Amino acid sequence: MNAPFYKFDLFGFDVSLIIAFVIGIGFGFALERGGFGSARILAAQFYFTNMRVLKVMFTAIVTAMLGVFYLSFIGYLDLSLVYISDTYIIPQVVGGLILGMGFIIGGYCPGTSFVAFSTGKKDAVFFILGVTFGVFIFAELYPFIEVFYYSTNMGRVTLPDFFGLSYGMVVFLVVLMALGAFAAAEWGERVMAKKGESK
Amino acid sequence: MVLTEKIEEVIEWLGEKMTALTHILAKIKLQVTDNEHTSSHIEAKPYSNPYYVGFGLGLVLLAAFVIMGRGLGASGAVSSVVTFGVNAIAPEYAQSNDYFSTYIGDGSVSPLKDWLVFEVLGVIFGGFLSGMLAGRVKGGVEKGPRVKTRTRFIFAFIGGTLMGFGAKLARGCTSGQALTGGALLGLGSWAFMLAVFAGGYALAYFMRRQWT
Amino acid sequence: MKNYIMNLSGSKKLAMVGLVLGLVAVLLGNPYDNTYAKVNVKALSVESIRDSEIINVKELTEWIIEGKVDYSLVDLRDEEAYKEYFIPTAVNIPTSKLLESNLMRNLKILLYCENNIKAAQAWFVLKSKDYKSVYILNDGIDAWKDEILFPKISENASANEKLEFDKMVEVSKFFGGSPQVGETGSKKEITMPKIEIPAAVPMNTGGGKPKREGC
Repeated sequence: MNAPFYKFDLFGFDVSLIIAFVIGIGFGFALERGGFGSARILAAQFYFTNMRVLKVMFTAIVTAMLGVFYLSFIGYLDLSLVYISDTYIIPQVVGGLILGMGFIIGGYCPGTSFVAFSTGKKDAVFFILGVTFGVFIFAELYPFIEVFYYSTNMGRVTLPDFFGLSYGMVVFLVVLMALGAFAAAEWGERVMAKKGESK
Repeated sequence: MVLTEKIEEVIEWLGEKMTALTHILAKIKLQVTDNEHTSSHIEAKPYSNPYYVGFGLGLVLLAAFVIMGRGLGASGAVSSVVTFGVNAIAPEYAQSNDYFSTYIGDGSVSPLKDWLVFEVLGVIFGGFLSGMLAGRVKGGVEKGPRVKTRTRFIFAFIGGTLMGFGAKLARGCTSGQALTGGALLGLGSWAFMLAVFAGGYALAYFMRRQWT
Repeated sequence: MKNYIMNLSGSKKLAMVGLVLGLVAVLLGNPYDNTYAKVNVKALSVESIRDSEIINVKELTEWIIEGKVDYSLVDLRDEEAYKEYFIPTAVNIPTSKLLESNLMRNLKILLYCENNIKAAQAWFVLKSKDYKSVYILNDGIDAWKDEILFPKISENASANEKLEFDKMVEVSKFFGGSPQVGETGSKKEITMPKIEIPAAVPMNTGGGKPKREGC
């Protein structure tokens, strides 16, 4: 058991920044390949005409989830050392709703807006400015929402803890759900394409 | 406002540099393609199979878990940059604000010397690289045919503002919460993910002019 | 059947692999359980506690006084003994509960008990669970009492010994001990310093690295 490498002091903070850059390249490359540099493709997710967002996201989640699970199983990765943010259920749901609205209005999320920016999309610049402004507003309002921000803290809770299922069972259910979502997405895209033709 | 002006300046500067870089790389690319074809026109390739992309993205995420013990992110980098900006303009104010002060820490390390900032620099570079290789660095504005560019810019800014605020409230955006927390089966992350889709679908009808 | 699988598109093959791995996962249970760690019995049988993995109490006093945070001090005795007295900053994890504890693998772990034998037993348990840096406090709580809390010096000690002792007096007082001069003191008359058990000992989770996580 010697992963995560950073937590076992295999390298220091400065080296971790170089690794951040390299991992970021992989991240950005994948996002661009997926078509996430285009707000129209991202927004199409919400009109059921192009479900790439769902497909890419869930495939990535399932891949990483299975990877983490099996690497822990063979004793290579110490999962308890992988950072999971605490659950603050209400602020997170409210934040998610606001963020989802921002998504359909603005057309990007922070990560994808950087990719759109790097491929020259001008609207992405305004989006990034908006995100910057939004963060600034949050910091300004922070004294007023601090109580809410820290409310409903549930600690480090995972789905298996919450539902009282074994970790492996939840992994399986997530895989099943993802595969079901993929099948539905493929079907939905075909239906919408036909509808588009008949118009 | 001084701050927004400053930010605009920085973005403009970044934009200029980026365009210059685009031109240089485009030239290189053209030279390469000129040797292969006589035409200098680059066709944009179609996007890759989403499942393969997702698999690749999953491996990148897994690498982050194994190497760093943490996942990916994006909006955290914006927080660091905002903190840096405010701290540069009004250091006393930044230190008195509870939120900024956590990012400043004891002041020994610049807020920009942050894992996520470097990761996002990589994202920008990686996105550019991929776009370049596929001939997709073309500029332009992403919008439906029914709205004006100006309207699109305003909506992008408003959407971005909501996104920034929501991401801070939820302690992460689609990368940090949905993707990372999703793979680690965090309860809050999955609730967040559902909320994002709910929020998006709820407003999609009213936003249809912008996209379709 | 083979042909059928080979003829599937790449995406569908991925889906099949995912499904199979998901199904197998059901049988494997929880990766957070430490019970999973594979034990290499052979490696363990040749492994032995090196001298460098034995820490003496004086070294520990320095760690505590300096306020080091990159280690966890673990008291292996039962709860009653722990309540009576424990070395400051120690958390109580009896050997039998060692595996259920959430001790972090990336921290140094310093074990102590009444004596070295019991600590050594725990040392092997942790080693077999792949904890990398596990240390033992030499002679455990007894050494702590003899050397730190109640150091003794005979009246006819040499000048050098006296100098050493004066230093120890400072350290001893820091921990609420009472140094003894001459042969008069015997352990039974000495009262142990009172120590408050912290309401909830926060589990140390990282080695003091900058922490600004989140998206």
